[in-house]
Amino acid sequence: MMFKKNTGSKLLQREQRLAYLLLLPTFLVLIVVALYPLGLVFVTSFTDRTFASPREPNYVGFNNYAQLLSMTIRELPPLIDEETGLQAVDQKTGEPLYERPLRVLPREPRRYREVSQFSFFGKRYVLGASDPDFIKAVWDTLVFTVISVLLETILGLGIALVVNSPFKGRGVMRAAMLVPWAVITVVSARMWQWMLAPTRVGVINVILQGLGLGDGNIAFLSQPEWQLPALIMVDVWKTTPFMALLLLAGLQLIPNELYEAARVDGAGSFRQFISITMPLLRPTMAVALVFRTLDALRVFDLFQVMLAQSRYSMASYNYYQLIGNRAMGQASAIGVIIFIFIFIFAVAYIRLLGVKTD
Amino acid sequence: MRLSRYFVMACALIVALFLVGGLAVAQEKVVITVAAGAVGQELELTREAAQRYMEANPNVEVRVIDTPDLATDRYGLYLQFFEARSSDIDVYQIDVIWPGDLAEHLIDLYELGAREVADEHFPAIIENNTVEEQLVGIPWFTDAGLLYYRVDLLEKYGLEVPKTWAELEEAARVIQEGERAEGNEDFWGFVWQGNAYEGLTCNALEWIYSNGGGTVISPDGVITINNPNAVEAIEMAARWVGTISPSGVTGFAEEDARSLFQSGNAAFMRNWPYAYALGQAEESVIAGKFDVAPLPAGRSGHGAATLGGWQLAVSKYSNNPEIAADVALFMASSEEQKIRAVKGSFTPTIMTLYEDPEVLEAAPFFGTLYDVLINAVARPSTITAPNYNEVSTLFFRAVHSVLTGAKDATSALEELELELQALTGFEIGEP
Repeated sequence: MMFKKNTGSKLLQREQRLAYLLLLPTFLVLIVVALYPLGLVFVTSFTDRTFASPREPNYVGFNNYAQLLSMTIRELPPLIDEETGLQAVDQKTGEPLYERPLRVLPREPRRYREVSQFSFFGKRYVLGASDPDFIKAVWDTLVFTVISVLLETILGLGIALVVNSPFKGRGVMRAAMLVPWAVITVVSARMWQWMLAPTRVGVINVILQGLGLGDGNIAFLSQPEWQLPALIMVDVWKTTPFMALLLLAGLQLIPNELYEAARVDGAGSFRQFISITMPLLRPTMAVALVFRTLDALRVFDLFQVMLAQSRYSMASYNYYQLIGNRAMGQASAIGVIIFIFIFIFAVAYIRLLGVKTD
Repeated sequence: MRLSRYFVMACALIVALFLVGGLAVAQEKVVITVAAGAVGQELELTREAAQRYMEANPNVEVRVIDTPDLATDRYGLYLQFFEARSSDIDVYQIDVIWPGDLAEHLIDLYELGAREVADEHFPAIIENNTVEEQLVGIPWFTDAGLLYYRVDLLEKYGLEVPKTWAELEEAARVIQEGERAEGNEDFWGFVWQGNAYEGLTCNALEWIYSNGGGTVISPDGVITINNPNAVEAIEMAARWVGTISPSGVTGFAEEDARSLFQSGNAAFMRNWPYAYALGQAEESVIAGKFDVAPLPAGRSGHGAATLGGWQLAVSKYSNNPEIAADVALFMASSEEQKIRAVKGSFTPTIMTLYEDPEVLEAAPFFGTLYDVLINAVARPSTITAPNYNEVSTLFFRAVHSVLTGAKDATSALEELELELQALTGFEIGEP
């Protein structure tokens, strides 16, 4: 379209050529450092290549992807007590018993393992996947992203509003606020790991016990129900300042006259917040959200340092498959899936929030 | 992550090419580079050994470079060198579980002079380092699980050093109840490594093997994990959690256990030999109050200690493999291991050093260690290569799920057996 419109002007054509010429080095660098490796990852994902092995890789088609993404749902038949002919129940808890998923899930052509169980209309089902760790990693990453970004946005907005209002020591406050964000993630992860130690060596356990919660022996990083909350807490502690900083920049763009005019018209502070602050902050917030969400989807260091191999994020599972398991083909497929995943997320986000891209 | 890795590797390659080009012109001496550990005094001792080698062989320059402290990080680094077929490093310090995985990148030391000295080392380690009749690493120093116990507390309650797991459980319970009654609420009977990581594989292997439950996968490639003795051993450990061991033990690694034991808040601890020197240090509150013993026995009638430790291996991509092998054999020789044992209490792999008076004077507990090491059990790493990491991960996650109460031992091991079969393709059998 643009070319057709512009054909009339020679000057414009010349300027356009110059623009492309000036962009050329950037494109070349981009091809070398981004497109080529990405293409290589894409090609490797169709092979069974082993990392650091002289063996020739074989072409395996979509096998790696099928292995990662295959899922199935099967009904678990109730266990029948042979004496009574009724469904057996657990002696201790009194809960009804069902057949074990191991007996129900298919083993050919690929083996399915249990991801989770759920009840629906009085029947018991099991969700199986050929790589339950990957499915769980995707799910955990999503939960982590949604909750942490939500909390960071709410808290970040609160903090931004506070440090935006004039008060004594505001400069010091703004600087102090940034400290958690300035600490290297691996360092802060290790620090939190010590504070979350599973005995009264850890300060969190001491505090909770002092408040009458728990017995001072809560294993935050190895009990499944505590792992994600602990990680989300650390991420919120660390990244809220970043969110607050971005939102603060947005708040400072809003002209003060608008508030003055609103006050003259008799609008209260809540009304001012809803009608002036929120709409005008929207573009900034959209950018901040896109930033944080894409960042959170790629989370690696927190999971790697604090949970290692007991629970994965998408990125730490990718690392484990490559280095720990040396399955380079599989790891490449995970890389491609993460890439597509984040791409879809980014596009959807930008559309949804109406971020202007040009 | 992915993009930057390739970029860094490309840059490294370019730099390496320049270096090689430059060296070819400037080089007179043969340069041998050794990638070694740097935990505690390790690096210093290795540098001293390199110095001694250079004095004896003036035409060789031995460079010692340090590598990350965490074994998994070190493994990742080595793999990147091997992936690039780099000749930058000639001698690698490798963990006891890596020979199988890395064998395809390593040289057979039997062909380069190790045949004569191999018999001096513990046979279990030599067997572990032998892949398809080739010796891919010369043992350098070793490690094995030990039972640490408080001598003063056993005396106070009139108890013997436990010989079986049942005795340990009972003794731990008695001491814990007694100490708590006297007001130390934080006191625990027995601490060990229960987090989901390689350390749990070592601990669980000791429970299972000492109970006659096999080694998960036997050295000749049979999956043996699903048996009643193994189930019993894991159920026993699950029973400890929250009774004689803190419920947080499912998040413990070596240092968590040591910090509890060394602060005087535990009666027994399972740990590696390194904790001995630290516990006897002057500022330690338990200095002089504890000792070590072999781990207790189960149904098999004898205790078991998981074999750890490090080997020196020579890279296939080395430009001077003969000289590199000579450096490795020199560093792992009896004289050098003795110096390391005396100066840094590194446990030798050469059997006669355990009778050496100078060594025993520097580290009296080495006497106990000999019996432990001669009976040590290797993890099934060589037979399952290159899948050992995955085997171990499946195993410790299965055990961890029982310890946290997410699964019962019977079904966890049944599932593990099928997983291992799918992964390795081995037969299933009895231990």
